[in-house]
Formats: sequence, C-alpha cells, structure tokens
Amino acid sequence: MSQIYLNLNSLQFGIKSNYKSIIIDPRSNLYNLTYPLSLINNSKLIINKTFNLNSIAQNEQINASLSRFNKFKKILLTSNSIIDLNNLKKLSWNGIPMEFRSISWQLLLNYLPSNNDRRASTLKRKRKEYLDSINQLFNNSNDGPIKDQTTWHQISIDVPRTNPHLKLYSYPIIQKSLERILYLWAVRHPASGYVQGINDLSTPFFQVFLSNYLNLDNNKNSLDNFDPSNVNQDILNAVEADTFWCLTKLLDSIQDNYIHAQPGIIRQVNELKDLIYRIDIELANHLEKEGIEFLQFSFRWMNCLLMRELSIDNIIRMWDTYLTEGINGFSEFHIYVCAAFLVKWSDELKQMEFQDIMIFLQNPPTTNWTEEDVGVLLSEAYVWQSLYKNASAHLKSHS
Amino acid sequence: MTDDYSYDYEYLFKIVLIGDSGVGKSNLLSRFTRNEFNLESRSTIGVEFATRTVEIDGKRVKAQIWDTAGQERYRAITSAYYRGAVGALVVYDISKAESYESVSRWLKELKEHADANIVIELVGNKSDLDHLRAVPTDEAKNFAAENQLLFTEASALNAENVDLSFHQLLKSIYDMVSKHQFDMNDYSSQAPSKGPTVDLTPKQNEEKSSKGNNCC
Ligand SMILES: Nc1nc2c(ncn2[C@@H]2O[C@H](COP(=O)(O)OP(=O)(O)O)[C@@H](O)[C@H]2O)c(=O)[nH]1
Ligand SMILES: [Mg+2]
Repeated sequence: MSQIYLNLNSLQFGIKSNYKSIIIDPRSNLYNLTYPLSLINNSKLIINKTFNLNSIAQNEQINASLSRFNKFKKILLTSNSIIDLNNLKKLSWNGIPMEFRSISWQLLLNYLPSNNDRRASTLKRKRKEYLDSINQLFNNSNDGPIKDQTTWHQISIDVPRTNPHLKLYSYPIIQKSLERILYLWAVRHPASGYVQGINDLSTPFFQVFLSNYLNLDNNKNSLDNFDPSNVNQDILNAVEADTFWCLTKLLDSIQDNYIHAQPGIIRQVNELKDLIYRIDIELANHLEKEGIEFLQFSFRWMNCLLMRELSIDNIIRMWDTYLTEGINGFSEFHIYVCAAFLVKWSDELKQMEFQDIMIFLQNPPTTNWTEEDVGVLLSEAYVWQSLYKNASAHLKSHS
Repeated sequence: MTDDYSYDYEYLFKIVLIGDSGVGKSNLLSRFTRNEFNLESRSTIGVEFATRTVEIDGKRVKAQIWDTAGQERYRAITSAYYRGAVGALVVYDISKAESYESVSRWLKELKEHADANIVIELVGNKSDLDHLRAVPTDEAKNFAAENQLLFTEASALNAENVDLSFHQLLKSIYDMVSKHQFDMNDYSSQAPSKGPTVDLTPKQNEEKSSKGNNCC
C-alpha cells in the first residue's frame, strides 16, 4: 500500500512532461502508466483509514479495478499491428478508466485508426485539415471573417452560457476554441446549421481530450483548478481539432435531431412514449391523465442527450457505453436510457399533478449521482433494450 | 416571494415568453417565479415551464408560464405552445437594436399561431444597461401603442419592474376575462384540484386551423 501513498504524493498538477509525444500518438501516454492513478478514489478511502486494509470488499474492488486497468492496457498496447476494437468495445461498456478514455473514445468513434502504422499520420493530417479550414474561414477576408452573422451571433451568445458552473469553460481561450469548432461545424452542415444544445455536446470531448495531457487525479473537481491560459498552443490545437472531428462523427449519427422541424427528436420522443406504455403502464396512464405530453419534458433529453439533467462526469461515463453501441448509441440506446431515467422516478411522479411533474422533470434530483448510479441506469436501459428492441416495431403507437 | 398556495387559485392563465435568444427571457421568468437571477444561465432548449400565483382584484390568479428557446430552429416546436395562451410577453434587450427589430417578426408568429384575443406585452429587458441603450424608450412605447401592446422596461438583474410587467399583463387578461370577452370555460379554472383546464397539448398540425381563428 505504500506504493499508493507514494503515487499520491508524486501527483503533480499541470501538463504531462511527455505531452509532445502524446500529441503525435496518444498511445505514448500509456507506456509509463502505473495502476494506482486510476484508484485514487479508493486509495483515498484507504489512506483515511491509515492503510488499514482489513475491508475485504475494498480489497476486491481494487483487485477488480486493477484487472480492468491491465486489460485496457493490454488491448491498447498490443504488439499486434491492429488494436482489437471488438475487445475494446466489450471492455468499455462498463466504463473506461480515465487514463484510457481519450484514446478509447477516439478509437471507438473510428476517428483514430486502429492500425498502428496509420495512427500518427492520420492524426497529423486531420489536425492540419482542421487548422487550414479554420484559417480559411476566419482570416481570408478583409471585411470581417464571419459570413454567417446569424450563426456567429447565436454561437457567441451560447458559448459563454455553456457549462457555466464549470470554471474551465469561463476562460476566454477555451471559449474561443468552442466558438471555432461550432462555427466550422455549422458552416459545413447547412441543413441543420448550429442548433442550441450542440454546444453542450462538444464539451465532453473537449474535456476528455484535454485531460489526457494533464496530470489530474480522479477527484472530480481537479479540472476546476486548472488554468488553461498558458497551455502550450500545440496541445490546444490538437484538442480543438480532435474535438471537432469527434463531434462531427457524433452529430453525423443524430443529424435528424437538428434539421428543420427536428424529426429525429420527434421520432425519439414517440418511441420513448411507446416504451413507457410497455414498461410502466401506470406511470404512462398517470401522465396522460395529468395532461402531460412527452414532448414537453423529453424534448430536451433528446436534444442535449441528458446533458442538462446529469453532471458532465456522469455524462462522460455514459458516453463510454454509448460509444460502444456503434452508430446507434446516441439515437437508439439513448431512448432506453431515457426510459430507465423516467421510470426511476415513477413512484414520485405518480403522486404528482401536472405542474409538479413538469417542474420535477425539468430539474430531476441527480446532483448526488455517482458513476455507480449511471452504471445502474445503463444496465436497466440494456435490459429494456433486450426485452423491447424488436417488439416495438409491431406495436401500435399510442399517440 | 413565491407563495405556497399554488393549488388554491381561481383563475389559471397560460402565458408564453418569446423573443430573441439572449434577451433575458429565462431570467425574467426565474426572477418572477423564484426571485433568482443568474448571470450565466444555460440556454433554454425547446420549452421550459414555471408558475406563480398572484392576487389580482382580490382573486388568486395562477400564471402558468412557458419560456421558449429563441432560436429559429426551435420555432416548429415552440410555436405549438402558443395555442391556448391568453397572454404573451414579447421581450427584447434595450441594449441590442437587432432584438428590438425582431419584435415585429415575433408579433407575426403570434398572429399565425396564437389565439386572436391573446393579450400581448412588449418588454424591454436589461434596463440596468442604460449606458448601453440602443433602443429609446419613447420609440418602443410608441410602437407598443400603435400595435395595442402593453409596454414596460424591466431588469431581471436588479428586479426593477419585473413583477410589475407580469402583473400588468395578468391584470389586463383578468379584465378581459371578467368582462367575458373570453369564454370563461376556456381560460379559467373553477376546479383547480382537477388540474389545468386549458388545453396544453402542443398540436403539430394545428397551424392551419389557428389561422382561421384569427377572424373571430
Ligand atoms: N445586465 C443584464 N443582463 C441580463 C438581464 N437579464 C438577463 N441578462 C443576461 O443575459 C444573458 C441571457 O439571459 P437569458 O435569461 O438566458 O436569455 P434568454 O435566452 O432570452 O432566455 C445572461 O447572461 C443573463 O445573465 C438583465 O436584466 N440585465
Ligand atoms: Mg432562455
């Protein structure tokens, strides 16, 4: 246990010393990784108990965690020429340790090639492509760089309102980054353009990718103590470009959510409604009796993928799982997650009238939710999906 | 500031809050219903909901307020909520001329999607930013008068005139209702425990018929 103690003490806050090689190939981040970093939460408990590790349960938890850690390490540092994505998916479903998250997300999204020989060159090309587009978009014009004033205006009032409770997003250097990402995306996707809420969706990527260059402990607030103002520009450029491409991949899978009349969201809301009629008919009947329309409360759940209802740490854990579900994670599996989320409050909701239901669902009590709560939610969603996925097509809509 | 008699009301009025993104709609609402202001509030997605019960002419009137997202893309969703609303606050930012220029577009939206008798109030928010003023009070006041709108300038930040603007709107609706210009059964509730009698269901395909309503 003294090893854990030493590692805790040697934790330094700031940029990793090998950041240059991480920029070139994120795998270089993994070679020197030692296991205890991922267990700070547990080890803190242990240290508080003055190394008295008599709790078997804790021991087992650490062993399980160590074993997961080593499995990720083994998959990602394979000596084969190709990283085994299927195994990575299986392993990631239950959550990715923070040390492996950035590279795993990029692999699962097919942004980062699983082929070892192509990784560095692809990253280099993608980042250059992004930077060139940004330069073209913002610099090559004398009468102001912005062509689409409406879009720019909307982005520039939404970026300061993005995750306002997290300090990281209050720094101008980060806000500028998000503005560029969102504006370039909007220009390249005229059928939808920028839609409020897309700003939220860029932040898990940004935060996870940035963290990969930092010495952070597992403490949730540690990113809040980080001042990005003096971070090396190469790091920020890489994080910004990677965020842009990964956001693009994510949004490609839910495009219909943001085009005119938002048909993707309407479909998902109806599917959620059908599901609730099957999973929890009493709740469904109660909502109907109270005059609650599913659109009224679940529109936002679909539009922002529950980012307004759960903390960003919870969302990041959730995306570990979503990303393993392939192209459908954010459009299909998400509906089952929403169903599990709604049914969770069934007992309370059935006691409430219209207005209390609306107000409750606009601000559900999830402030104290931990990763375990999210894990349970995802497992419940998985069960509903296996029970109802193929049944839903045959049954009539209740709308 | 808010009260706990929310179920003990005699009238239930559905109100919508509309206007460009960023003018302060959500903060006007949180100031009125919870006495809260948030310099960094998140953008509203789709439609959000809050209520407050106030006393008007000795009657308890419950305002059920639907706050909407200002962005164009959400119009299809948000305009469905105009139906059944008896009042609307059209909000602009006194320091942003564009947001005032959009007012006529918002009025047109109401004309197309809301009931013809809806009572409308124009609210110039952020009156605390007088040093950055881009919209003269008189100009907005005259515009309001020409278009038969109520008018106030208010500040969600320092709370000035926030209660007043909502009260003014609710009073005006109440006066209309009590003069039976509205069908009482549609717009008030005498049986509060049974929940709202106003139809709150957004109807996607109602646009055509609500246009028809404008002539009656
Ligand atoms: N100075 C000032 N700022 C305000 C006022 N009301 C809102 N704001 C700010 O304007 C921004 C947008 O407000 P919000 O209520 O989200 O606008 P909405 O998009 O219309 O709902 C936020 O930063 C608010 O803090 C006000 O009365 N005075
Ligand atoms: Mg708002």
